[in-house]
Amino acid sequence: MSRVKITEYRAKKLILGDSYMGVSIHNGKIALPKSGPFDGFDKLTTSRLRASRFVAKVDQGIKKRFKQGLVAVDVPSTAISKSVSLWRKKGFSHFLVEPYVPHEESEEQYLSLERVRTGIRILHASAGGIDIEAHPELVKTYLINSALPYTIVPGIPEKFLKHLVEVFEKNFFSFLEINPLVVRGDEVYILDAAVLVDSAGIFFVKNGWSEDDIVEGKARHIAEEKVQALQKTTPASLKLTILHPDGGLFFLLSGGGGSIVIADEAELNGVGRSIGNYGEYSGGPTREETHLYAREVIQLLLNSPAKKKALVIAGGIANFTDIKSTFRGIVDALSEYAGTLRRKGVKVFVRRGGPHEKEGLLYMEEYLKKEKLFGSVCGSEAVITSAVDDAIEFIKK
Amino acid sequence: MNILELTRRGRVRVLVIGNHSGIIQSMLDFDFLSGKDIPSVLGIVAGNRKAEKYFFGTKEILLPCYKNIQIASEVIGGKVDWMLNLQSGRRAFESTVSFFDFFPKSLGVHIFAENIPESHATELIKRFGKKYFIVGPSGVGLLIPNALKLGAIGGVDAVQIKSGALTSAGNIAVGSTSGGMTNELIHAVARAGKRISFAIAIGGDRFPVVSLTQIFALAEADPQTKGFVYFGELGGVDEYEIIELIKAKKFTKPLVAYIAGIIDEAFDEHVQFGHAKALVQTMDESARAKREALRAVGVIAPDTFPQFLDALQKLPGGTYTEDVMDIQPLQGRQKSILSTRKVLDIDEGRVFVKGKKLLKGKENAFVEATLVALLGKPVRSPITRAFTEAVFEMLIDHGGNVSGALNTMITARAGKDLVSSLASGLLTVGPRFGGAINEAAILWISGVVSQKTGLEFVAEKAKAGELILGIGHKKYRVGLADPRVKALAEFATLLKVHPHYDFARSVEKATTSKNGKLILNIDGAIAALLLDILSECEGMSERELQELADAEFFNAFFVIPRSVGFIAHFMEQKKNDEGLFRLPDELLFVREETPKKNKKK
Repeated sequence: MSRVKITEYRAKKLILGDSYMGVSIHNGKIALPKSGPFDGFDKLTTSRLRASRFVAKVDQGIKKRFKQGLVAVDVPSTAISKSVSLWRKKGFSHFLVEPYVPHEESEEQYLSLERVRTGIRILHASAGGIDIEAHPELVKTYLINSALPYTIVPGIPEKFLKHLVEVFEKNFFSFLEINPLVVRGDEVYILDAAVLVDSAGIFFVKNGWSEDDIVEGKARHIAEEKVQALQKTTPASLKLTILHPDGGLFFLLSGGGGSIVIADEAELNGVGRSIGNYGEYSGGPTREETHLYAREVIQLLLNSPAKKKALVIAGGIANFTDIKSTFRGIVDALSEYAGTLRRKGVKVFVRRGGPHEKEGLLYMEEYLKKEKLFGSVCGSEAVITSAVDDAIEFIKK
Repeated sequence: MNILELTRRGRVRVLVIGNHSGIIQSMLDFDFLSGKDIPSVLGIVAGNRKAEKYFFGTKEILLPCYKNIQIASEVIGGKVDWMLNLQSGRRAFESTVSFFDFFPKSLGVHIFAENIPESHATELIKRFGKKYFIVGPSGVGLLIPNALKLGAIGGVDAVQIKSGALTSAGNIAVGSTSGGMTNELIHAVARAGKRISFAIAIGGDRFPVVSLTQIFALAEADPQTKGFVYFGELGGVDEYEIIELIKAKKFTKPLVAYIAGIIDEAFDEHVQFGHAKALVQTMDESARAKREALRAVGVIAPDTFPQFLDALQKLPGGTYTEDVMDIQPLQGRQKSILSTRKVLDIDEGRVFVKGKKLLKGKENAFVEATLVALLGKPVRSPITRAFTEAVFEMLIDHGGNVSGALNTMITARAGKDLVSSLASGLLTVGPRFGGAINEAAILWISGVVSQKTGLEFVAEKAKAGELILGIGHKKYRVGLADPRVKALAEFATLLKVHPHYDFARSVEKATTSKNGKLILNIDGAIAALLLDILSECEGMSERELQELADAEFFNAFFVIPRSVGFIAHFMEQKKNDEGLFRLPDELLFVREETPKKNKKK
């Protein structure tokens, strides 16, 4: 369903197999002491990597690592522990250590494969290195499909390209970037690799990558973490991203498209800075799932120091998500904090349509009026943006 | 002819794979409200059941279920136009391929699942993209007003079918990358006083099989479509393909578009929104850029959603035939909880004796052998045989509602075998169900032996607070005779004397004087007549009759034929296997415990 990054270690292991000499280090797998230097690298590197110069890097799917100082190139084993402990202090946990491949900058090539509608699109530049984005004119495009030979990319050995495509297909890759790539005759050296896999492929991949290899998008907040965990346990869709923790406008939105329309409305009305969160629930979550999801948003709202706060429960006209049962879940969550919400003068604004719309809206309206949280409630006869418009007016007052 | 015209012109036949009863029911409601005589859904490919219950209008129907697509094709033949694929992302690819294998003449499929791997989607495009119309993966399907509702599109309850005017054909095409917004757009078009020509949720996946370009080409080719309403999001470059179509004059109809995702500008870094595709990777894929590019080729692409709704007025209108849709009867329908067939026509008037003569051709060797086996001696009279035959015929079944039939059906639905199910049904036979014949026989014997009048007998029983089995009926009453009793009563005319029957009738006379429902019922009539027949035709003494009653002989006249009926209900369950039975919550009253007082220590 979406493209997710796997560790560089796993990506290289999948491409190079047993001949890959890199070692993955992260908390738990190879035991690191809680703090202080780790001198085990010496033993590790000399015995397992059979080299004397090394590359060490943070392996957590971070872009532009080099510029951020998260890569140590051409260093002796003694320097590795120093770099790793420095990175650990910055909060990183996954590292990769490989033998260093001495090469000239002129040898560096750029190669990427991406799945597109008609096959696999290859981008190649014979001058690679880190500055590739600055020189798009050097990049040549090829399209691989079953009818074409693997000799179409000059400078890339046929055998290697064929192997790459096989690995790509077998492991449900969506995107693979090798930059730089060094080719010497039939030998290829993958100095740096990034892979996005298709998360929907997880059921079909055998002896490839697994859940453990996925680089988690950094959940910056405990609420995001909780929703991510909840999402893993349901076929429904539950998403939450915190925008401005000190905002006044908090969203309980539904539907992938409708939620964007409503968030757009706030941005277009110039209150983008007040949006506390973006998120959406859809695909027919149960009452209980909606309750747990709504609770996270309500807590965010309560934690915001903004003086005027509004909760917007809004979405399009659902096709099959039941309004009655999801609203019951939301009311369950509101009930946990009704007193506090009322004391803080929070108002709730609602616009929603779909199956059992009337019953759901009536139930919500009665509840909000009873608890003195009522802002406005409307259904599919009103414009999708009406609740957020009312809420904006309320917080602006 | 394109798929729209092919679908609009005749009967639409859909095969569903996977299960989502709300969506399937909404398709049937759509068919019904569109005025179709026959539902579009032919059957469901789903698991181990053989049938599932749905409503067509207010009438219940059983939709056949098939174990796999091959079996479905064997039963249905090649005549399926569309498949609705509701399976999960793990299985949807395989079943879609299988569908086209077995139904090569079909038009297309909607794949509902959201988690289909990209490579499966591209493989579907490669293999089937040119030949078939595949909506999805993901999204909510395809809607052609008055003709086809393939998926959740337009909503799943009848209220939405009405509010979206889904059965009224118009001239505005609706296309959307978002399922929820498809419905929003359909309703917006209806609110703008226009009607749709077709609607498609393309799905938020990266590689929808039917591409946006194809949908615009379809709208261009469709003579009914006069304008297009489009909802798109940030991410992806599909909108640039529309722009190319417009530039090349391959799409010439008026287009109103809303591209959502301006909110992305409020984030520090690009965020993955609800849909797989909704992640901006390069600047060109931003909502603002796409909106502006569309405007540059003359598309109405407003900044805000309310402006977008206003712009719908600029699309061509039309005159629409408005159906008066009465959805009231479709609301609050109560599904039955079990299903069976009519095993025996209970109300059929039967004649066994006419003009004091037995009607011939009703005897058979099985009945004779049964009587010999039970009585342990040869049967002398054809009257005994004919009476037994008549009782057996009538008691085979009394509908699926009675305890024994229910038990049999529930046991069968639990996956049990014939003997277990039959035994479970038979185990309900007793004082309240089916066991009344023997009890009535005991009463009539005692009445005849004691030489009491009916009135005295009734008074005595009333005083003791005892029920008189063999008397009373729920439906029949004085003036509305039970046809079965009436048919059997003719046997009395074949006898010289019939003291037990007379006594039973005298009891009836006493009871009906209090309540017209307290008539001699079928159990009582069988008992009385059988006693008289055995006495006169088979020469049995009152003592021998009492012995038979003590051994519950008279209940055998119920158990033997009714076993046949139970087996019939059992077989019906196996035929339409609807899976394990569970009583719906609303049909079960759970009494609240009265709180116990805490004992103080």
